[in-house]
Amino acid sequence: MDIKRNYYEDIELFKSNTILVWSILFLIFLAFLPWLITTYRPLGLSIYIVNLITIHAIVAIGLNILVGYTGQISMGHAGFFALGAFTAVILIVRWSFPLWIALPIAGFVSSAFGFILGLPALRLKGPYLAIATLGFGMTITTIIKHMEFFGGRMGLQAPKLYLFGTPMKDIHYYYVIMIIAVLMTIGAVKLIKTRVGRAFIAIRDSDIAAEAMGVNLTYYKTLAFAVSAFYTGVAGGLYAFILGFINPESFHLIMSITFLAMVVVGGLGSIMGSIAGAALMTFLDIKLQAIQDIPAIGPALVIFSEKYMSIAGISNVAVIVYGLIMILIVLFEPLGIFGFWIRNKRYWKTWPF
Amino acid sequence: MLKKNLTFIGVLMVMVFLIAAPATAQKVRGVTDTEILVGQWGPQTGPAAPWGAVARGTDLLFKIINEEGGIHGRKFKYYLRDDSYQPAKTKAIAKEFVEQIGVFAVVGGIGVATGMTARDYLMENKVPWYAPITGVYEWISPIQKYLFAQYPLYDDEAFNLTGYLHEKLGYKKIAMFYQNDDYGKQGAQGVERYLLRKKISLVAKVSAEMTDRDLSTHALKLKNSGAEAVIMWTMPTHAALILAESAKIGFKPQWATSNTLSDSALMMQITKGLWAGMINSFALELPDSNLPLMVKYREWHKKLAPQERWGTFYYAGIAFAEPFVEGVRRAGRDLTADNWVKAMETLKDWKGISSPITFTNPMDRQGGKHVFYGKVKPDGNIERLTDWIRITK
Repeated sequence: MDIKRNYYEDIELFKSNTILVWSILFLIFLAFLPWLITTYRPLGLSIYIVNLITIHAIVAIGLNILVGYTGQISMGHAGFFALGAFTAVILIVRWSFPLWIALPIAGFVSSAFGFILGLPALRLKGPYLAIATLGFGMTITTIIKHMEFFGGRMGLQAPKLYLFGTPMKDIHYYYVIMIIAVLMTIGAVKLIKTRVGRAFIAIRDSDIAAEAMGVNLTYYKTLAFAVSAFYTGVAGGLYAFILGFINPESFHLIMSITFLAMVVVGGLGSIMGSIAGAALMTFLDIKLQAIQDIPAIGPALVIFSEKYMSIAGISNVAVIVYGLIMILIVLFEPLGIFGFWIRNKRYWKTWPF
Repeated sequence: MLKKNLTFIGVLMVMVFLIAAPATAQKVRGVTDTEILVGQWGPQTGPAAPWGAVARGTDLLFKIINEEGGIHGRKFKYYLRDDSYQPAKTKAIAKEFVEQIGVFAVVGGIGVATGMTARDYLMENKVPWYAPITGVYEWISPIQKYLFAQYPLYDDEAFNLTGYLHEKLGYKKIAMFYQNDDYGKQGAQGVERYLLRKKISLVAKVSAEMTDRDLSTHALKLKNSGAEAVIMWTMPTHAALILAESAKIGFKPQWATSNTLSDSALMMQITKGLWAGMINSFALELPDSNLPLMVKYREWHKKLAPQERWGTFYYAGIAFAEPFVEGVRRAGRDLTADNWVKAMETLKDWKGISSPITFTNPMDRQGGKHVFYGKVKPDGNIERLTDWIRITK
């Protein structure tokens, strides 16, 4: 079943009919998700939150290509995210580009900067690369802050977009974002399976060995940065429009770290893990604010926090729970959510043995 | 293995518990026979957390009103949400307020970027929003029917403060020290606008970046200009730094600043006493004011929230919600968003613990147009110099 006889069989998108059927069912589910949400409100979700999750998933996939597959690190992805967001808004506001042209350009602008950032990555490793990328992320927002062209510190209002003459609402954005996300996910899966992806993985496992085998380190390392930045840039462009207003202060260091945490919690070197990580982290980040409304536990936590914590009270508990869930996942399952999936799949497959 | 699955199930259970209660169908969103639902976001965690006291102050006001029996038979139910000063979260909170909790109105809310992500959404859904807590033009232009602003405009405040220094106190050589962002620039703009009218120029205009930590050259520039008075438009840290550097080189002008830095107890502490002598504008009554309303609030504060510091941020939360409550009171038992707007438009020189509030002109949504001036005494208390002065035409 799992035997591959040639290269082309290995790079097939759907390895079996079972996977194909499930993928189609999943796409149908995605198509009906907005209806499900507005009718039943599962988990207190709103379409806006799903949109945010999807955008974060695109970023996480892009970052995973860099961190999980190529073994580099970036703590500056909020910078690429900001670049994408500002480029898209400025193209549409100043030169009235349509969205479907502005988004790829936003992606390419980001990836150009990704390429530049990739150059020092050739010589830097581990903590040193982390600091270099961290500096990059902070520099980008500082530059944007000081240029009136980008709206300065005040920021920019994203214009309202129209679809066939009607202003776009969350549900319209949902389909736009979801289609882009699905395409980019397929792109990432394909990329990893083919020559480029294999070169990335070879670099991750041992860059000296990879070079000895004929992998051009300069080319592939900068490419990994550029691809990763492209994904993040496109996501940034979408982010600007679901938010409606962007300013440089929104793209801070914590955001970069959250992106990295999504990848680690989801599972390094796994596309599915990236999506799961983005979904879990975004959901918790937003929904834990309402922790006091959980029946029974909520009021008890409020009393506890008022008694033993600072006056900000319940918000502290939310942050602690958020951190605790992250720590527990990484502690008990180093492969992240993807690890749970693999483990459970194997368990049921071999059941009852 | 069992253990690992249990953690996973634990995570799932937390998520399931988070299912929000479905909003019940009602005629007016957020208004029932016995309750009025109101929401506010404010940073309780993260770098902007000190400002979170505002949202907790509002909580105190609603508690007081509920203790006194509510308004027209209804009590307030207040939802405070922590947005950590992150716009993406603020928008999620705004959507939660409207789509899931179904609030009648939003009160306060700190930050320009955070508020701007929610502004159009709230207005499209006709959610009354009273007093976003920043003094920028975005809230009042273009006019939004359901959005009322109270915080005095920085531009006008600086304009009037310069006039006070020049005309009343007779300073001829005035310098400006500001932080290089929107807040600082609007202050500088107001100062220059006034001086241009009087055909005098600033003797020095010195700006600092948010990240600057060495202000010795800035202080030297101010000293060399020979300024008699310096107006500063900065955050607390920079205010403390520039005062320390100036004292070191023996530069002692008359300093003056905006109501943003009016928490003099805090400022005395971080400037180690150098804050004394500062001329400050105020948009709220002083913390130890003998105004009956302030006395009442202070008593309730001791009773209901003794753990909080009675600081400017905290009771600003009361000051920025009072006119909203007055609007609800005037709208009567038949409370709808439109009735509330009409009621708000009857407010004329209405006085709570902030400046007199007026909304009678439907084309003007800037309610707070007054400040008063005070001088910081060496013990940190304020000597009140003027009565309320109108700063916005």
